[in-house]
Amino acid sequence: MTAPPVKPVAVLGVGAAAPSLRLAASDVGTAWGSGGGRGTVAVCDADEDTLTLAWQAANAALEAAGVTPAEVSGLWWGTARPPFAEGPSHAFLATTLGLDRTVAGGLSSGSPHAGMEALLGAWDALAAGHARVALVVTSDALVPGLGTTAETTTGAGAAAVVLGAIADSAEGPSTNGSSPAARLVARTTRAMPAVDRYRADGGGATGDVYDARLFREEVFVPLLTETGRALSQDAASPLAAWAIADPDGKLASAVAKRLGAPLASAPVYGALGDAGAASALLGLVQACAGTGSGATGSSATGSGATGLFGAIGYGGGRATAVLVDATRPVPGAVGVEQLGAGRRVGYPEALRARGQLEPMEDPIPMGLPPGGAAFVRGNPEMLGLFGARCRSCGTISTPPSIHPTCIGCGGDELEVVALARRGRVQTFVVNQTMPPPFQAPLPLVVIDLDDGARLMVQGSPADAADLAVGDTVTLSLRRYALERGIPVYGFKAFRVAGAGATVGSGQDRAAQEGGR
Amino acid sequence: MSWNKVAVVGAGLIKMGELFEQSYEQMAAGAFSAALVSVDKGLDKSAVDAVIVATQRGTLWGQEGIGGNTVPSAIGLSGVACTRVENACPSGSDAFRIGAMVVASGVHDVVLVIGVEKMRDKSTQEGLLARAAAGHPLYNRGETAPVLFAPFATRHMHEFGTTPEMLASVAVKNHHNGCLDPYAHFQSEVTVEQVLASPMVCSPLRLLDCCPQTDGAAAIILTSAQRAHEFTDKPVYVAGFGVATDHPYLHEKSTFVGLPATTLASGRAYEMAGVGPHDLDMAEVHDCFTITEILDIEDLGFVEKGKGGPASLEGETALDGRIPVNPSGGLLAKGHPIGATGIAQLTECWWQLREEAGQRQVAIRQGFALQHNVGGRGSGVSVVNILTRNA
Repeated sequence: MTAPPVKPVAVLGVGAAAPSLRLAASDVGTAWGSGGGRGTVAVCDADEDTLTLAWQAANAALEAAGVTPAEVSGLWWGTARPPFAEGPSHAFLATTLGLDRTVAGGLSSGSPHAGMEALLGAWDALAAGHARVALVVTSDALVPGLGTTAETTTGAGAAAVVLGAIADSAEGPSTNGSSPAARLVARTTRAMPAVDRYRADGGGATGDVYDARLFREEVFVPLLTETGRALSQDAASPLAAWAIADPDGKLASAVAKRLGAPLASAPVYGALGDAGAASALLGLVQACAGTGSGATGSSATGSGATGLFGAIGYGGGRATAVLVDATRPVPGAVGVEQLGAGRRVGYPEALRARGQLEPMEDPIPMGLPPGGAAFVRGNPEMLGLFGARCRSCGTISTPPSIHPTCIGCGGDELEVVALARRGRVQTFVVNQTMPPPFQAPLPLVVIDLDDGARLMVQGSPADAADLAVGDTVTLSLRRYALERGIPVYGFKAFRVAGAGATVGSGQDRAAQEGGR
Repeated sequence: MSWNKVAVVGAGLIKMGELFEQSYEQMAAGAFSAALVSVDKGLDKSAVDAVIVATQRGTLWGQEGIGGNTVPSAIGLSGVACTRVENACPSGSDAFRIGAMVVASGVHDVVLVIGVEKMRDKSTQEGLLARAAAGHPLYNRGETAPVLFAPFATRHMHEFGTTPEMLASVAVKNHHNGCLDPYAHFQSEVTVEQVLASPMVCSPLRLLDCCPQTDGAAAIILTSAQRAHEFTDKPVYVAGFGVATDHPYLHEKSTFVGLPATTLASGRAYEMAGVGPHDLDMAEVHDCFTITEILDIEDLGFVEKGKGGPASLEGETALDGRIPVNPSGGLLAKGHPIGATGIAQLTECWWQLREEAGQRQVAIRQGFALQHNVGGRGSGVSVVNILTRNA
């Protein structure tokens, strides 16, 4: 079969995100008396999941690309484990990102290969002329089976890429009017049906039958090597580096050795573990940042590597490789070491955060069922963080659905506006006494937002010890509850520490957007 | 405004506490009986021709759909006209206000106002704390009762330098007063050191900054001033009242150093009574938390805004202070059975104005007493009643 010629697309910007917690493999070993494991893996806190990670990475990529949510014509999201196995996952993410309701795209899931499927889907839409700017988000927060070796390798993370269409006439200009820093120029896919990891309907943890020798020798090394070599044949010159999804910290380097170019993505597995569908693009972002050696501090945004980079993602019996030609540093490319070291937790806390350790007593149910009418009415304004601005006095009442009139003047001419996502602490408490599912300490913060609106939301437990009136905080998407299997998302307040920007959060951009 | 003068001719309550052994109905009967016994010249219960019941949280004793018929049945008055009032923490004081208006209107002659509340038929976990999961899924998530008031303490401390010791002094005073009140839930002294060493519940409020969960009931019998002397030679009169509201969510508050509903409600009550804060001999105010009493005495005009902390620390609100506040022990020591709270406070005012309060009796010079509650979502409802012994 001869593949048709591939139309290149522009890479306008990239972003990455990591969850808050880190679990040492040695702690897992201690818990099970198996003594095993080196390194740490990333674990979502109880209020993080694949969607909140996706939101963070997407915001960072949009900010880096200089693209507003309104300019995005499609969202392609790849995650092995969407927040709803069936449900409005894509619509939730699109709404939290402030994308237009007409936004195209789709959700790929079912295996870690979903990340590459999302990338290819976006690429195809751009090449066909059906989209001008595409947001590709890959994220995962896998749940390993208790007592399996996967517990010491399974991680979490997210990476996003903003792609733009390139006019047929030449290699540029791209949609943003200048030649892009990088382009996707080649791609190839191979299938090999074999069961390695799987989850049946109703399954909680991902089952893992990964037999290292069997899969390494008979499946992955041959499959990935074949896919990588096929891609290399399309390259005009030798590749500068490879980014290869890694299940165990060993396979990727073995494949890279066979492919004859350095592995730039090794720090990703080292920092986060196996990030599933996000692994390949996290590796690509790492390669573009030029910190593949694992050295820290060498790559602030703006510097970065150039050359040809190959990225390979796989899973579910398929492998896909894509080729990136970076002629200038790619906006937003960060090394994984810049995503934060996370908070080291012990095994019980990691299990509790992942929902694998639950109290015997029933948690107190939410006053309003997440499937009920109040959420049908309220989801857009909660996910999008909207207020109602009074046309008479300018006061913003929040949220709009419970404010038919202005809290300031009683006027009834209100317009829905996106709220600013940065502000200062007017007052706060730290609640220490709550029933399950709440966890103390829980700050509750009243914030005077930069646009003049006032909001009360939950704060970060990490800020509980020394939060103060007047502190600057930003709002970031988190999962407020998981009830009857339904996640409830909303924004929480996080203190801005010093002058350093939070890499991978995209909160500055969000604040600008909301403030308009 | 023209209305018929209303008199209190009887008032009583039951000993407050965790009354696991008593049903809601038994508590109601006990309070009604106490009120009847208090009527100096006696009153046949059949004379009661309307009942106003205050119960705020039927949900806490498994009676989610409670109406106005449970209490008349329990107190042997089934058939009588009865209405239930649910208006947050001021439910009892608002029931009193409504009862007074019913009498003033001339529609009913003898009105029983009765507050009954079961707070401990459900565990704390399933009861009061469960509200952390109720309400708006984002803007109320994690909001237990202390969260409604603790942000005001944080801000009051920030703006006025109010200290934890000042907050603690409110608890110390009210626990002291509670020792002198045989009806109080708690009858033991606490020290500032004990308050400051108690566990943090919701910063900056510690355990002893918080009122307990208390079962209780209280009842008051109202009639017209014209008929009052059929029942007593020492009636107490309703001088004025006011009710006011504010926005229900904390993020809608215009200030975090005061509760505007209290200021509005008391302004209306003072105007109706034709008196001001300086005419009062004592006050029973809403001290669900120590910070609440500090906010109250400022918002009610007893002290300047921002001076509530020092005034409390310096004893201005003690039994022998410039303006005695919560001689009964307040919500902090007497307890806070929500629907009964306001009526129990008014019963204390009745005793004080009749100079029957025993060891905790304050000096009655001008003959006026004020009763106040504030509460509900965002502390957005306040009721103030003013009683007088002056004919």
